[in-house]
Amino acid sequence: MLTRAVRTSQPVRFGFPRRRVAQRSQSLLGIRVGIELRFLSGILRYKTTSHPEDKRGNRLSRKSKSPEFSMPRRRDDDDEEEYADDDRGGKRGRFIDDAAEEDDEEEEDEDDDEDEDAYNPRKRKQRKGASMFIDQEAIVDSDGDEEEEEGEDDFIEPGTDLVEEEERHVHRRPFAAEEEEQEDVDALERQIQQRYSMRSMHGDFDEEATDVEQQALLPSVKDPKLWMVKCAIGREREVAVCLMQKYIDKGSELQIRSAIALDHLKNYIYVEAEKEAHVKEACRGLRNIFSSAKITIVPIKEMTEVLSVESKSIDLSKDAWVRMKIGTYKGDLAKVVDVDNVRQKVTVQLVPRLDLQAIVNKLDGKEVGKKKTILPPPRLFNADEAKEMNIRVERKRILHEDYEMVGTMMFRDGFLHKTVSTKSISTQNVQPTFDELEKFQKAGDEMDGGANALRNFSTLLANRKKGHFLKGDAVVVVRGDLKNLKGWVEKVDEENVHIRPKLAGLPTTLAVNERDLCKHFEPGDHVKVVSGAHEGATGLVLKVEDHVLIILSDATREDIRVFADDVVESSETTSGITKIGDYELHDLVLLNDMSFGVIVHVESEAFQVLKAVPERPESARVRLREIKAKLEKKANAQDRYRNTVSPKDVVKILEGHAKGKQGPVEHIYRGMLFIYDRLYNQNSGYICAKAQACVAIGGARRGSDRNHGVAPLTSRFGNLRTSPGFAQPPLSSKPPRDSRGRQRGGRFDSLVGTTVKIRSGSFKGYRGRVLEVKGQDVRIELESQMKHVTVNRNLITDTVSVPSFHRDSSRYSMGSETPMHPSRTPLHPYMPRDPGATPIHDGMRTPMRDRAWNPYAPMSPARENWEDGNPASWGTSPHYQPGTPPARPYEAPTPGSGWANTPGGNYSDAGTPRENSYASAPSPYLPSTPGVQPMTPSSASYLPGTPGGQPMTPGNVGLDVMSPIIGSDGEGNMLLPDILVNVCRSGEDSLIGVVKEVFSDGSCKVALGSSGNGDTVTVLPSEVEMVVPKKSDKIKIMSGAQRGATGKLIGIDGTDGIVKVDDTLDVKILDMDILAKLAP
Amino acid sequence: MFFHIVLERNMQLHPRHFGPRLREKLVSKLMKDVEGTCSGRHGFVVAITGVDNIGKGLIRDGTGFVTFPVKYQCVVFRPFKGEILEAVVTMVNKMGFFAEAGPVQIFVSNHLIPDDMEFHSGDTPSYTTADGAVRIQKDSEVRLKIIGTRVDATEIFCIGTIKDDFLGVIDDPGAAA
Repeated sequence: MLTRAVRTSQPVRFGFPRRRVAQRSQSLLGIRVGIELRFLSGILRYKTTSHPEDKRGNRLSRKSKSPEFSMPRRRDDDDEEEYADDDRGGKRGRFIDDAAEEDDEEEEDEDDDEDEDAYNPRKRKQRKGASMFIDQEAIVDSDGDEEEEEGEDDFIEPGTDLVEEEERHVHRRPFAAEEEEQEDVDALERQIQQRYSMRSMHGDFDEEATDVEQQALLPSVKDPKLWMVKCAIGREREVAVCLMQKYIDKGSELQIRSAIALDHLKNYIYVEAEKEAHVKEACRGLRNIFSSAKITIVPIKEMTEVLSVESKSIDLSKDAWVRMKIGTYKGDLAKVVDVDNVRQKVTVQLVPRLDLQAIVNKLDGKEVGKKKTILPPPRLFNADEAKEMNIRVERKRILHEDYEMVGTMMFRDGFLHKTVSTKSISTQNVQPTFDELEKFQKAGDEMDGGANALRNFSTLLANRKKGHFLKGDAVVVVRGDLKNLKGWVEKVDEENVHIRPKLAGLPTTLAVNERDLCKHFEPGDHVKVVSGAHEGATGLVLKVEDHVLIILSDATREDIRVFADDVVESSETTSGITKIGDYELHDLVLLNDMSFGVIVHVESEAFQVLKAVPERPESARVRLREIKAKLEKKANAQDRYRNTVSPKDVVKILEGHAKGKQGPVEHIYRGMLFIYDRLYNQNSGYICAKAQACVAIGGARRGSDRNHGVAPLTSRFGNLRTSPGFAQPPLSSKPPRDSRGRQRGGRFDSLVGTTVKIRSGSFKGYRGRVLEVKGQDVRIELESQMKHVTVNRNLITDTVSVPSFHRDSSRYSMGSETPMHPSRTPLHPYMPRDPGATPIHDGMRTPMRDRAWNPYAPMSPARENWEDGNPASWGTSPHYQPGTPPARPYEAPTPGSGWANTPGGNYSDAGTPRENSYASAPSPYLPSTPGVQPMTPSSASYLPGTPGGQPMTPGNVGLDVMSPIIGSDGEGNMLLPDILVNVCRSGEDSLIGVVKEVFSDGSCKVALGSSGNGDTVTVLPSEVEMVVPKKSDKIKIMSGAQRGATGKLIGIDGTDGIVKVDDTLDVKILDMDILAKLAP
Repeated sequence: MFFHIVLERNMQLHPRHFGPRLREKLVSKLMKDVEGTCSGRHGFVVAITGVDNIGKGLIRDGTGFVTFPVKYQCVVFRPFKGEILEAVVTMVNKMGFFAEAGPVQIFVSNHLIPDDMEFHSGDTPSYTTADGAVRIQKDSEVRLKIIGTRVDATEIFCIGTIKDDFLGVIDDPGAAA
């Protein structure tokens, strides 16, 4: 009977649990129940009024069938209420009268009642009569309801109250219900009527509810507590139902008031009771509640929250896109194939990440090592492949679908079908990227020929954000009768979009469901991507493929594929995101590894940087943190013909992969030019080239000028240049290598920067560097002390200076090519010691034109000469420009990066003046030069790594005599016979040739043709340049101790070449610049 | 499309040019300033054909520069969506080809090249039909239709298509050779 009662009561009672009001069935007294109800409805009222959003949550939970299970309450109670109220009223009255004697609980209730009465004084009066009491309860309750319930007319609040009361009634008299049952329906009807009349009577009462009243309705210490009981996962509802059943069976023995299972809370149910013991008692023997389960109390403050949690309804439907939250597939896109709401399980389709080998190992029972950290890449499963690896693949048919089974894994069409808990997937904001979808689609296409595409399309629509249509958007109807109708959005309602159709003869606006619409674009539209991976990019629509647009990006001139939904029409031209942090598109940046490049593309999290590699366009993906700094200073460089190139100058590239391209120079750094060629469609049109490999458009071609000395330069650089030129002749007429000789004549300047030793005086024995020469005094920076001293020049000896001079000039003349040396030699005199103004810093700060005056640069006649003649220095001079992070080039542990840029190119030019110098050198010197030590007196102190520096000295001796001005290039990379050279005479294209003979004036006889079988011409040294050897070319060493030796280049490492010398079979690392390709 | 229109511009002239040849100076400066520029509204200014009117100059305080309002006639070239143009191919790559029609650069994406033409890389990258009869390479002349334009401060960039009737190569240097 009871069960029946429960059943019959349901239609009427359905409103109750949905209000999330826990049942409070079992008080002994009618009053109690009523009061508790009041309390609960108070919660509700409180909630509904103070948290408007709760109302929604409320409704939601209503829809989603709140899990609460109330204790049995019976509709028939209501009748009883009606008919037996005399009886009950009497009882009640009695209870109330002597309520105080009953028990504590009653007292509380009583108090509650008092509370109520406080704001509803009428109650008190009505109190004695049972029927009045009931009415009153009804009123109270309906107060609560009215606000929350809005429009749910069948929501029978008072009924529930009455039921409650009745329930209790019943519990006291378990068999009384029987008779009541029959009158059920009638009573119900009456009840409803009564309720509504009440409501209208007290209609405005509700509105008067204030915050204070609301507060009064909140649970207090006197109310029953809420206990959280742990139960088996997924059994929450079951437990609640069990408790209900138990209650039905046991009745008032069970001292709990209610049991609540919440959908969103797994593993726990709530039980309302006065004492923990009551809860324990109630839960004892229940299968799904562990006896050891801990029971925790819910703090009073949180009680309302427990019942007002807005459950997020997970709207999972088939074909929806979700993302995995955990496991191997974390973050992977998955497609829902089946939803089991009851078990909270979802079957999803994934692109499997299988490690077949691991499976094999496992099957073989082999030791499976530690959990692999490497995630296997997603790839479709291929049964044949698996079979090949001896993995057993079973075929199974489940629900008319064929599956391939490997162990417990199910595969279909190559996809993994996996059943997971709804908790382990995320459904919110899943925005599949194009690639991901493509992966799904590709496989699908193979199977069902493109039908998948449409499916994708429709599921995508379901996933898109709300309100992405804006007025004026061009749209097309994709579903329904109006399919393919195009139009423009006029107005957007919640779900419906009003469109103005393009076709004539249709109503001016049509309301179409948002889901049936899709944005529409025509080829040629200029659009902006507003979401997705390419967010921010703009471009012209090239092609429309259903839902996918192919856009030609404005910035990169590359195709991008985006969803039409992610795009809006826009006339704005941007290149997508153009900035991350401080770095913007087209900025020149220094990377952590000291290389540098131009940002050519900005992605959402990284940059594409065109690196400064002149040989080929090399771009790398670089993250923000890998960028060290932005290089903003303006620099200049010299082109092949020593025209100064500044940013924005238009240059033409003469060699390399981008030969023939031209465009404005955007950045210059360390002799590298970054040129923007708008016709070039890679790397946003940026090309990296060495300054030496370019020619400024409109610049003079100076190749031939160099032959005739420094004239053009002097004019160009004005008086700065001329004075050292004048200074030179006297000193270079002396044999400069004579250790004493340097003291005389023109040493004024040349002494500066050299390292000297003090012969006597208080600083006797100290070594230092000459900073300045003032008459008879020289100012010296001591090596061992951070101190500058002034010493008579007669008291110094410059024996020490020889090596340093060499090294110095080699450094400068080799320019950037030998950056490693200083760092390899910590004790090198060049190490900056003065924190304030180290010599190197000086050098760097000095604008290059002042180089002549740079105390550290022009220290010898040779130096001067080199200055004039060696464009390499100019090419690389930007390094020394102000603003370069001081001293960095020298400290850099990885010189290869920036410095690597000036290999052969520099040299080819750099070489020419040397020839000039040798030109006047007595020819006998030439044969003897090959790397013989005697020529380099201070070779002992040479660094092994600076071969480039060696050869210069001896040559100078001879040359200086004869060619005071041009003669003494420090390094003198004299040409040697048999090497391959490029002959580039002014006005002609460069021709390759083989040096046949070198004359004493430096000019040489060159047989044209790569094998030297063409015409023989005599060329000036300035017109030839050595051919830079490639790996495994035969080479000839042009300078250093090994000069003249032949070998094979077995490897190139930055600016160093690894050479196997023929004679000795030694493997040497030599500077690329001193290697010349040998004619075959 | 070419238009012959009258435009107006305020020219600033340095005081040193004030003299008998002021007008000449002004016109030459105008030509220098205006020819070759581009505006979204009018397109490229190809040539100035005449100066209608030079207004009264106004001396700027402080600088001594004088501002003259100048009305001039000029020929402008403005590409339109849907316009058919003949252009010379300047570059071919796998993404499509670039062509120039006077100052306008037009990109024809491979999506807008007929499907039977395939990209062939090599010394002279080209789009060629399977039988080799039609070939688009550098310096080819093509007739194309503009389907979209983008106007920058200094250039108008168009995308075009040759995937339509009567569009495509009109003169092939390769074939002629």
